[in-house]
Amino acid sequence: MNQNKNAIFKGKVLPYLYLLPTFLVLIIFIYYPAIKTFILAFYRSNFILGTRKFIGLENFKNLFVGPLAPGFIQTCIQTLFFSLLVVLIGLTISMLLAVLTNEKIKGAKIYRLLLIWPFALSPAVAATVFSFLFNPEVGVINVFLNAVFNIKPGWLTNPYLAFFVAVFAAVWKNLGYNIVFYIAAFQNISKDPLEAAEIDGASRFSKFIHILYPLLSPTTFFLLFTNITYSLFDSFAIVDVLTRGGPMGPSPVLDNAGVTTTLMYKVFLDGFGGSSNMGFAAAETFILMIIVAIISAFQFGILGRRVNYDV
Amino acid sequence: MKKITLALLMLSIAISSAFANGAAETQVQDNSPIEVTFWHIFGDARGQWVQDRVDEFNAMQDKYHVTQENKGSYRDTLQASLLAYRQGSAPTLVHVAEAGSQAAYDSGIFMPISEIGAFDTSDYIEPVLNYYTIDGKVNSIPFNSSSPVLYINTDMLVKAGYDRDWTPDTFSDVIESLERAQAAGVKDAKYTDGIHAWFFEQLVAEQGGYMYNNGNGRDSRATEALLGGEAGIKVAQFYKDLNDKGLLSWTGKLEDWGGSDNIFTNEKAMYHMTSTGDINVISAGAEGKFDLNVGMLPIADGSKRNGTVIGGGSIWLTQGHTQEEMEGARDFILYMTNTENMVSWHKLSGYYPVRVSSVEALDKEGWFGSDSLQTVAFNQLLETIPNKATAGGLAGTVYDHRTYIEEALVKIFNGENVRTAMNEAIKLTNAKIKEYNANF
Repeated sequence: MNQNKNAIFKGKVLPYLYLLPTFLVLIIFIYYPAIKTFILAFYRSNFILGTRKFIGLENFKNLFVGPLAPGFIQTCIQTLFFSLLVVLIGLTISMLLAVLTNEKIKGAKIYRLLLIWPFALSPAVAATVFSFLFNPEVGVINVFLNAVFNIKPGWLTNPYLAFFVAVFAAVWKNLGYNIVFYIAAFQNISKDPLEAAEIDGASRFSKFIHILYPLLSPTTFFLLFTNITYSLFDSFAIVDVLTRGGPMGPSPVLDNAGVTTTLMYKVFLDGFGGSSNMGFAAAETFILMIIVAIISAFQFGILGRRVNYDV
Repeated sequence: MKKITLALLMLSIAISSAFANGAAETQVQDNSPIEVTFWHIFGDARGQWVQDRVDEFNAMQDKYHVTQENKGSYRDTLQASLLAYRQGSAPTLVHVAEAGSQAAYDSGIFMPISEIGAFDTSDYIEPVLNYYTIDGKVNSIPFNSSSPVLYINTDMLVKAGYDRDWTPDTFSDVIESLERAQAAGVKDAKYTDGIHAWFFEQLVAEQGGYMYNNGNGRDSRATEALLGGEAGIKVAQFYKDLNDKGLLSWTGKLEDWGGSDNIFTNEKAMYHMTSTGDINVISAGAEGKFDLNVGMLPIADGSKRNGTVIGGGSIWLTQGHTQEEMEGARDFILYMTNTENMVSWHKLSGYYPVRVSSVEALDKEGWFGSDSLQTVAFNQLLETIPNKATAGGLAGTVYDHRTYIEEALVKIFNGENVRTAMNEAIKLTNAKIKEYNANF
């Protein structure tokens, strides 16, 4: 346990040299665009017109005050809900499925393989699959529901159902990724505590709660972070292909934007759709960055301390 | 140390190759033809039609060599052209949507095509050319033009006790005939459209209403949204009446062209408002199921028929080319839209032939039979009174406004007051216009 974690390099330059490629990638693809976006948020900049004029905080003001504010605020709220549901449901289901595949049953390997499958699809493909499944007229789901119960719900046009389908699609798409990590985590868990518990006559449930769940916490912690990022950023393609932002909800709060319009999708709509207001979209991106920063700080600051790394 | 040097060397090679610009400029030799490039949105049979015209033009003469390329949607095409222009490699000709006209105009990368020598545009149908005339100059050459008409399931109409060739003239006619049909037991006697603000704009133009101030954005840059004013309220009220009386059918998705076509061709609606460009699709869908008729757009009660706005795309010329290249571009586009080519374009695509002489040629060969569905569309176009209302509203952020109008209609369907919803749409539109105009 007390081994020296710092590898020893000869000289001071070498470690930085090894880090250089990583830094280059980060700078070119992450830091530089992020800083440019941050600067752009203080400009009135239209993509079509190619204009650029410094306007201070006006873009930010327009996000929270005035006619365009309700749409933005609604988007923020539903993005948080969307993200919360995708992460919670996604992690719960994948953890349970991973536990099941770890049981000693016939063909467990095949189950594992099949469960990892969705990970191989791109979000756009996953969304296309879902849009076929939930097509109101010819989708498998409605053909079945119509034959058995004589109902044809408007899965993608009813605001509540559309939100549900978008969450469901986003969860499904990321299941494979989560399950891979949980299965890998199981390989590293020593069998001793489980056997000891078995001898003591612990039930399956209490074995899960008291042994497996805590031992999985480093993986869960890691997945929590990647899933939050996924739900905020990568769900873009799912929203774009499946609902295009989705139907509007009821007034007074939910009728200012489509209910599945996530913040990321709105950035796209405002920056590249409609009148191509890049400065406004940059301000929205900046708010999104702040949200991610707050969530990450909370996660590492509070939850991070409760993770059990002593396996 | 040797290893570090080697590593640095490898790294520098990797970086320099990553940043190397592979696109080497090729020098055009003096005696080779002048290159003209044309970017457009058509990828299907219509793209092939464009390619065929390009091949013909290239074979006809050897001064110019035209190449065409499909760049995806209108938005993709415009964005690609803007970026190419800023990088100094703009295409000569670009296909721009009618709603994107003001923004394209303001982008400053285009110039009015009528400035390239003197050529005759009097053969282009006036209401069509009207849309693309900005500041008194023909700015771009119309190419694919269409306007909406009312498609009618006449089997339902007959069951309601009307003559088969009867068409509704006003909003009340539509509502009354639907109610009569429902009373006569035609359960699916409804009105459908794709809930696209393009239809709203048309019904406003029919009443002579303006979408924007400053002469519908035609006298000078629009600074305020009117969204039709009282004319707009009447249109919104029409939608509300249809909805509240259970006479409206739509998919729940905005701008759902295909969805509303399906509703109509599956006999779930008696009336369907959509583009003349869909005439072939809908005729095929109705084949063997029901009798189809086409009527002019219904107008608000008590208003005078003013005509429709011609939607679609036109071809724009980018700046910064040699005089010869621009002349070549102009010659090509005039060739592509000549009388004969617009006849074949119309037959292939259903878009209006944009030339008077093409319409006459089609007429002469008997293309419009006495009971032709196309005749109504043509009459609607030819009877359009050329004025600022039918020229169409010009503003830089039309796409945003359309969304707001569509969302206002949905709110109205959900029970919101017509004036409240329309005022809300005006407020949002004004915010967008103000923001856009602040760029200048």
